[in-house]
Amino acid sequence: MQDTTPKDIGQLSFGLMEPEEYREMSATKIITADTYDDDGFPIDMGLMDPRLGVIDPGLECKTCGKHSGSCNGHFGHIELAAPVIHVGFTKLIRRLLRGTCRECSRLLLTEDERDEFRDQLDESRKLSRDLNDVTKAAIRQARKKDRCPFCGEIQYDIDHEKPTTYYEVQQVLTSEYSQRIAGAMQGDEEAGVERTTPDELAEKTEIELTRVNEILSGSFRPRESQRKAIEKALDIDLTEEDTNKLMPSDIRDWFENIPDEDIEVLGINPERSRPEWMILTVLPVPPVTARPSITLDNGQRSEDDLTHKLVDIIRINQRFMENREAGAPQLIIEDLWELLQYHVTTFMDNEISGTPPARHRSGRPLKTLSQRLKGKEGRFRGSLSGKRVNFSARTVISPDPTLSLNEVGVPDRVAKEMTQTMNVTERNLEDARRFVSNGPEAHPGANYVRRPDGRRLKVTEKNCEQLAEKVEPGWEVNRHMIDGDIVIFNRQPSLHRMSIMAHEVVVMPYKTFRLNTVVCPPYNADFDGDEMNMHALQNEEARAEARVLMRVQEQILSPRFGENIIGAIQDHISGMYLLTADNPRFNETQALDLLRATRIDELPEPSGVDDEGKPFWTGYDVFSELLPDDLNLEFTGTVGDEVVIEDGQLLQGTIAEDEVGEFGGEIVDTITKIYGNTRARIFVNEVSTLAMRAIMHFGFSIGIDDETIPEEAEKRIDETIADANDRVEELIEAYENNELESLPGRTIDETLEMKIMQTLSRARDNAGNIADEHFDDENPAVVMANSGARGSMLNLTQMAGAVGQQAVRGERINRGYEDRTLSHYEPNDLSAEAHGFVENSYTSGLTPREFFFHAMGGREGLVDTAVRTSKSGYLQRRLINALSELETQYDGTVRDTSDTIVQFEFGEDGTSPVKVSSGEENNIDVDQIASRVLDSEFESEAEKQEFLGSRPRPTNLSEHADDRLAEGTEVTSDD
Amino acid sequence: MVDVSQHELVPEHTVLEEDTLEEVLSEYNIDRTDLPKIKRNDPALPDEAEVGDVIKIVRDSRTTDQAVVYRLVVE
Repeated sequence: MQDTTPKDIGQLSFGLMEPEEYREMSATKIITADTYDDDGFPIDMGLMDPRLGVIDPGLECKTCGKHSGSCNGHFGHIELAAPVIHVGFTKLIRRLLRGTCRECSRLLLTEDERDEFRDQLDESRKLSRDLNDVTKAAIRQARKKDRCPFCGEIQYDIDHEKPTTYYEVQQVLTSEYSQRIAGAMQGDEEAGVERTTPDELAEKTEIELTRVNEILSGSFRPRESQRKAIEKALDIDLTEEDTNKLMPSDIRDWFENIPDEDIEVLGINPERSRPEWMILTVLPVPPVTARPSITLDNGQRSEDDLTHKLVDIIRINQRFMENREAGAPQLIIEDLWELLQYHVTTFMDNEISGTPPARHRSGRPLKTLSQRLKGKEGRFRGSLSGKRVNFSARTVISPDPTLSLNEVGVPDRVAKEMTQTMNVTERNLEDARRFVSNGPEAHPGANYVRRPDGRRLKVTEKNCEQLAEKVEPGWEVNRHMIDGDIVIFNRQPSLHRMSIMAHEVVVMPYKTFRLNTVVCPPYNADFDGDEMNMHALQNEEARAEARVLMRVQEQILSPRFGENIIGAIQDHISGMYLLTADNPRFNETQALDLLRATRIDELPEPSGVDDEGKPFWTGYDVFSELLPDDLNLEFTGTVGDEVVIEDGQLLQGTIAEDEVGEFGGEIVDTITKIYGNTRARIFVNEVSTLAMRAIMHFGFSIGIDDETIPEEAEKRIDETIADANDRVEELIEAYENNELESLPGRTIDETLEMKIMQTLSRARDNAGNIADEHFDDENPAVVMANSGARGSMLNLTQMAGAVGQQAVRGERINRGYEDRTLSHYEPNDLSAEAHGFVENSYTSGLTPREFFFHAMGGREGLVDTAVRTSKSGYLQRRLINALSELETQYDGTVRDTSDTIVQFEFGEDGTSPVKVSSGEENNIDVDQIASRVLDSEFESEAEKQEFLGSRPRPTNLSEHADDRLAEGTEVTSDD
Repeated sequence: MVDVSQHELVPEHTVLEEDTLEEVLSEYNIDRTDLPKIKRNDPALPDEAEVGDVIKIVRDSRTTDQAVVYRLVVE
């Protein structure tokens, strides 16, 4: 198996191909444009020559003898009748033409200059800078010379007409020189230029008078020096541009003479690439495997776009040769040459500006070589960087609070398709046989088996029973996915590490993926129709890696800010708030019900006995059951009270967003850092289930009545707003009477606007405060705002008080008609109402005009988000591409692929953000944690010494393994 | 003209001695061209710095008290 030996790529070198190399690698010369003969056999030396490889199954390749599938195909070649320019190098060709001598082809630089640029090039290479900067500077320097420093030849400008024509531009004597001179000698009375007689001219230019007369009559063309003298004397221009087209063959001859030493300075390695190879004399013909023809239903063959293009090239090539041999006029030859150039150009790139794209008979532009590579769907971005993968599934997601945050509910129909390979041994033989005997339709079944001899057999409903009996150790069984398998789960856009995490499978009925709601924040998922992708892992290494590194619980801490990104959300927070805000009491049944979805199956000592002598448990006590026994914590909480946890008991404080929430909930964060990811996972799971039980216990709903305030309050709000309107009127009056004093740095107009905005926003706040007075702390909207679950007091103000000023671009609404926002208002009306102040609340309802202004403000918000996401997405893409190859080395430095140092120590301190305390001051007592861990681990001091530092934390086992483990050391019930 | 090198936000830039430079290069096992670069006309550079010199920069750091960075002077 010679060709399966792994090889190391030492280096890649890029260069140009020599025409001789094209001929050498060619399997055949192509001379006819036809593909197949009447019997459907490929024509020899045609475009489908069997030596170019095989595409039809069953045939043998005439070159390598392999069959279709294993034969990669072989190149052929076309001998071009005349050289043509390769479009990919037009810029470089132009540069070389401009920088080298038209006569001796040497670089237009003195030896000293050349050596200097060579040194610069070497230095740039060493510093891995852009070599183009140096080569461009060299060409710029060379272009300044108007004479070759070696042979003294005058150099002309090179004009490049895109895409592939080059002209030499010379200044030559115009054919109407005599008229021009005569005209200038007439003089111009208006401009005050005197007449010049031939005598005077002869004197000024020091040309003999007879010559001057000859020149004036047009019978003698003045020499260059004479021309200049006349031009100077009469202040005229006697030249015109003469463009001389450079044919590809001329350019090729020119380039052939450029010495090797000279092109080195231009960044070209002469051993690998000669500039004349940029002008093609031989065209390689891609193998048929790169341009397969397809047979349509009606038996007709349809050829690939590349083949069509090659047919064109060969046809023109032949016509060219015939015409030349027949001695056709130069004009026709040149036309054909141009046509050949066009076809070869579009064969390589069919999207060149200035050239009409070559089209298919149907009018569709052909997809030629460069179109295959370029762009999002091209070979690089579409086929190499991104591929379609097997063992993946995509469907809608929906919530399931009964799952652990590590799990994902997978529809059974998906589980039956995404198989896992099972290597049958004596120990799993029974399972394997059971899977096979279930067949491919029943759930924990199998789709394929592989015998030790390598034969792969499909398991069918019919053969499953017999096949199951045959399964022996050494076989492979492709079994269905079952509970506990690990898969990768992903939601686009994958903006950060936590957008792709590993989950454990729970096979479920119906058609959606199910996830625990606490993993919504890292994926940024919701359930309004979001879809997610799942990938089933296919080898043991990948599965282990996913379990150890990618599982959701390993991602609780975000590397972005070093705190937890997973935690209680929305209703969980409302629930915890209800449970702990007033520390309510529960009887035994209630307390057990709250904790029934957790590991806790026995209640602790009751918190006290009520008036009737029955024991009760407080909200604090119920919550404390979830905390680790020895947790100590003290901080200021969401509602502003002090949260105190001592020895795993919540003594004081309300549990809400800042305690257990996503994005840095203090308790979750601390538990993760001190007790590890497994304990944190258990905690978050249990907090969310306890919270759901609590919110169901108390009941939680919101409706219009919750935002309605008494009539008396509404009257007060109306008064406040009327008051504000009056004050705005006063301001406008003062403005109109020029009594308004401008604020520093503002015009009077701006001052007025600012003051009106201030007045109105104060009015809205006041309205909000009045409304607030009538909401008690039990109001659901207030509960959500206070606990941080959802919404804010501003939302409440807008619902119950007044919606307030609508703004576009940070100003009151000023657009619409001339001098007014809507035709309902007088021109130049500055009042609050006319510029988008909404007095009503969402509950009372907006007037049509208010609604319109509100829509204007709302539209701006939508446009802003749309623009922002696209801009930041592009920015992120650029950033990722720039940073993707940086890597932290074992010595702590961050380097790129060329070993250049970017950071001397990762993040300057060499620490991962998630392994470090996130608090302002270092509030994690490392010594305490260390001794606590050690003490609990060993019974005697001697044992402790013996094992010191050698026990890893068992974090990465399956959840089902954790259950067994929980009975042992790791996590114990609080009791 | 303001001398920015005296500004409180500009960290200290010093030219590294040849023998300490050798130590640094061998510590990271690199050539001096693998270091980050700094332009000779950078106003924070001391006057005596020349192209090819290595500059030692001691910065205040948010994560560690002081972070040391070396940069190669280029034209």
